[in-house]
Amino acid sequence: MSRISRHWKLLLPLGVLVVLASVVVSTSFASSNAKTVKVAIMTDCKGAFGFGYELDIGGAQAAFANYAKGKVKDPKKPSAGMTGIRVGTTPVEIVGYGCGDDTVPTAVKETRRLMEQLGADVMIGPLSGDEAVYVARYAKAHPNKTFIIGTAGSQDPTLQIAPKNLFRYHADGAQWNAGIGELAYKKLGWRNAAIMMDDYSFGWTSGAGIIADFCAVGGKITKRVFPPLNTTDYSSYVQQLGGPSKVDGTFWVVGGTGTSASLTAYEQAYGAIDPTKHIGNLFFAFLGADKVVAPKMVGSYVGGSGTGPGLKTAKAKTYEKVINRWYPGQPAADLFLYNYFNAAWALVQGLTVSKGATGTALQAAMPKTLNTGYQVSNGGKVKLDSRRQAIGDQYQLQLVKNADGSVGPQMVAYVPGVDQTFGGLFKPSSPPPGRTQPPCKKLKTPWQGKVRIVKNGIITNQIIK
Amino acid sequence: MSERLTQLDVRRSLPWLVVGLLVFGALLYIVVLAEPSPDIGGNWRSTTFGSAIDDWQSFTRTLLNGLTFAALLFIVASGFSLIFGLMRVVNMAYGSFYLVGGYIAYEVQQRMTGAGFTIPGIEVSTWEWVFPAIVAAGLVGLLGLVVQQLFLSWNQGQELRQALITIAISVIIADQVIAHFNGGLASTVTWPGWTNRLVELPLLGVDYSLARLVMLFLGIAVGIALWVWLYRTRTGMVIRAGVDDLQMTSALGVNIKRTLAIAFVVGSALAAFGGVVGASQGAIAPGQDGQWLLNSLVVVIIGGMGSLLGAAVGSLLYGLTFSFSAVYLPTIGDNCCTQYSIVFTFILLALVLAFRPQGLFGKFS
Amino acid sequence: MTRDPKQITERTIGLVAVCVLLLAPALFSDYWVDVILTQMLIVGIAAASLIFLAAYGGMISLAQTALAGTAGFILGNLATVGGEGGESKGLALGWDPTLSLVIAIVGTVLIGLFFGAIAARSTGIYFLMITLTFSVIGFYFVGQVTVISGFSGIGGINRYTPGFIGDMVNDRYRLFYIALGVALFVYAVIRFVVRTPFGLSLQGVRDEPVRMSSLGYAVPLHRTLAFGLAAFFAALSGVLLVWWQGQVAPGDVGLPATIDLLVVAVIGGLARIEGAWVGALAFILIGNYIRDSWLTRLLDDLHIGGSFNTIIGLIFLLIVIVSPDGLVGLWDRLWGRIQGGGDSDATVAPAGAVPREV
Repeated sequence: MSRISRHWKLLLPLGVLVVLASVVVSTSFASSNAKTVKVAIMTDCKGAFGFGYELDIGGAQAAFANYAKGKVKDPKKPSAGMTGIRVGTTPVEIVGYGCGDDTVPTAVKETRRLMEQLGADVMIGPLSGDEAVYVARYAKAHPNKTFIIGTAGSQDPTLQIAPKNLFRYHADGAQWNAGIGELAYKKLGWRNAAIMMDDYSFGWTSGAGIIADFCAVGGKITKRVFPPLNTTDYSSYVQQLGGPSKVDGTFWVVGGTGTSASLTAYEQAYGAIDPTKHIGNLFFAFLGADKVVAPKMVGSYVGGSGTGPGLKTAKAKTYEKVINRWYPGQPAADLFLYNYFNAAWALVQGLTVSKGATGTALQAAMPKTLNTGYQVSNGGKVKLDSRRQAIGDQYQLQLVKNADGSVGPQMVAYVPGVDQTFGGLFKPSSPPPGRTQPPCKKLKTPWQGKVRIVKNGIITNQIIK
Repeated sequence: MSERLTQLDVRRSLPWLVVGLLVFGALLYIVVLAEPSPDIGGNWRSTTFGSAIDDWQSFTRTLLNGLTFAALLFIVASGFSLIFGLMRVVNMAYGSFYLVGGYIAYEVQQRMTGAGFTIPGIEVSTWEWVFPAIVAAGLVGLLGLVVQQLFLSWNQGQELRQALITIAISVIIADQVIAHFNGGLASTVTWPGWTNRLVELPLLGVDYSLARLVMLFLGIAVGIALWVWLYRTRTGMVIRAGVDDLQMTSALGVNIKRTLAIAFVVGSALAAFGGVVGASQGAIAPGQDGQWLLNSLVVVIIGGMGSLLGAAVGSLLYGLTFSFSAVYLPTIGDNCCTQYSIVFTFILLALVLAFRPQGLFGKFS
Repeated sequence: MTRDPKQITERTIGLVAVCVLLLAPALFSDYWVDVILTQMLIVGIAAASLIFLAAYGGMISLAQTALAGTAGFILGNLATVGGEGGESKGLALGWDPTLSLVIAIVGTVLIGLFFGAIAARSTGIYFLMITLTFSVIGFYFVGQVTVISGFSGIGGINRYTPGFIGDMVNDRYRLFYIALGVALFVYAVIRFVVRTPFGLSLQGVRDEPVRMSSLGYAVPLHRTLAFGLAAFFAALSGVLLVWWQGQVAPGDVGLPATIDLLVVAVIGGLARIEGAWVGALAFILIGNYIRDSWLTRLLDDLHIGGSFNTIIGLIFLLIVIVSPDGLVGLWDRLWGRIQGGGDSDATVAPAGAVPREV
């Protein structure tokens, strides 16, 4: 006993220190002003979509600057932050930026950090599909918080999970490809096609849209090949596609390093590529592929992503001016930026109606339509369906050579009013998109036969026949 | 006495028997048993192209795909094997060297051709590929030297510590790559224009990509160069001695520190060169560092560390297995099975480890 | 029992820590209890399984995350129910939660024994690599075999907890106390096992496998059993993890998760079991608080570029260079200095030394 009492000089302060430190730390983030609405922007800063960080934050903050008096700290770096956001008399504070890496465990930690440690009331985000599936489940368990999906393309969050406090004002990955099948069937004369898609959630979702659209109009998908994500060597998978002699055309839904690698492998297996025999999803034209892949595929049709680059309507020009005003140099037609912008704008509208209240009051006040930059049909308004998923116009693209020699996507087709179910093909009870989902079925989608040609950024009245 | 000997022999040769059976079974399946898959459904015998007898061309193509992929694997893994074998360092930043090498070559090639976004459309000259490769290998060799001198030379022998240090370095490098190289977007290096065609291979009866054959040639060239260096120069001799017994070699009065540094530089340069070839053949992006570290580990595990022959054989086995499983695994409906080729190759790897953990040509320390 | 001052100090600190944890809901904010401390306990259990194998078995295993994930996936597939509302994917068999829990743990131990038998003949760096391949196989397996999980994983698992555990969704402190109990249990079991004849011979196998083999001990068997025991701890951690997260996904068993656990163990210290929870706490705090801190902004100001990942890499590098035995090793060495180079705690683990590999 005496030994212990000898060391009490050491042990007692130690014990006190431990307790003190813990108390100090735990109270260091006690909640501040109760009236402030706390918003968290959840995006990726690592992994496959790490470059989306500044784009996402820039989009959301541009909306706050334009509609909620926010002051941008650094027009060149959105993640520097912003101050002074105010909706009516309610101040809004951005409490943090989430840093995901496209995987679920990181999404778990970041979501909890933003919503529980930093006490956010609203989340704008996340960026990627698998993360959104987790956020949807989290939203279901936390009905007092509001979640507006940033730019995630997975189908499940609003079709199968669909919690009442989750909103998505943009189309999912399958919807983005609506109309591309019709282009292939009617304009290129494809009757049977092979498809290569990453053996991964987004690969399956994006591919599902292509398959559904092409088969709906009468085409047949004869071969589906699934290389694992970021395979090192695509030569053996490309072999399975069968060359130009076996199919009328090939659809490509391969991302990351695979976009270029798989096309190179195809070239090396079957010779020079004929762009009219290949159609890719958005990976052909965006995320750096415009430099690497596009030059080989000039003339190919490319699946869109819900934005209309080069659209010459007054609304589109206004939108692009807004982005340019707050963050000059950021690509306004980029899907990451556009979708986060719309999400933040919807939030501002919701807060205006709810007069600064969050929770279920805000959820009831969230707008059911949104006047987005590239929407044309329905009076220029994106509409939310009964599951709070956007029904919106889609634009299909084609790779063209610009005057300065660069290659980029240009709109060629306008598809009005695309909904998530594809005319009833995807139901809440359907399994999520996968290797065999959807099956190749002929049916009538709401936009079939209504796809119009776009020339030089102007939507003509010509229907694609 | 003689009974005891036969018992021993059976025990030892059992793994080889099993391996032999598996290889024979696989060959039988690929060459004879497989059938072309029907449009719907299929059974355990259906493969995309059927057997080699049904479709000789596909078989030959798959074989060539495997060989050329093995060449790339060899270029990258040989450096890893060298570092691993000699210094017993599991260089977890090896994949990062691959990544940096690819990106440096990309940047240099962009500046050289000045064309930026239209590179794939124009002819790239041979020098416009070779020079970026040299720059990349050189700079990454230098990076390797810095890393080795600063972080690895003073804790020689503490394997785990070195593995952890290199893990930390790989995290830092991966992050810096995103910050400084094309924003971390997937990028490619372009092969010289003249490789962009198919050549007829009369003996095999197929047309095959010249670019991939160039890759095969590069792999063989690297192999020969390494062989000459390791078996015909003094430094190489010291390295081989060091692989066998590092302590003894240094006790013999050789400047072992210099040799270790040289080996690390060469290994890093090989990683970078592999990165250039990989970026030409496919693309380069953050995430490839982890992928290629794994690939190198697989090759070295199969082939045995510190052995040039082991790296070659390991690359061949891995490349061929991957290539063939991607084409000849059964296709039953849409849900099975060629997408499992990666899992398949790793299961094979686990089997090799189970039966012969030191690899085919490795020596147990 | 020695009256060594270091041992006394450590025991007192340990006691204080446990008391603080017992009172945690009263002392800390909800977020701290639910996220930081619970996560620390759970990750610490997995790290303890790794450190157990490293310190007492001489095997650095990178398969612990895979084993933890396996338990989580088995539990998720068996216990959850699918259907409308779509929270759960996977097999969604809807079995009794208690039975599912037992099967998950027992199943993982069996898988661990199986892998252990395969890996037992390898040592050192080879053992590390073979366990690494298990992790990679596991990742691709659960990601690509979509009927078991798929890439977005299985959700809603914490809704299906056994009766004796109760509701974990609404009563977050319950999970915290269960995790605390399991962590103490694991710690006690490890301390107990290493003093048993099995534990002692395991350490003999660690130090001198050839001699032990010539003495008649079945070396691979010892290693296999140790691996199985570590798999048991990992399974406990995995089950707790999926209850805490509410779900399980391939990202939980992939390469980054595996490396993270190794980092946790190394930061804490591979030589002593206490390092598991010390390392877990340090890792979680760093990950949580560095992100928006002045350190990241410093990188920009110095025009070095990069994000907080560079900072984390640098911190990790610093720790490994300065103290190869992690934070606990640092503690040991400080004590060594205070005591003027006298005996440090004569536990059975080799104090202050990274286990030698053959």
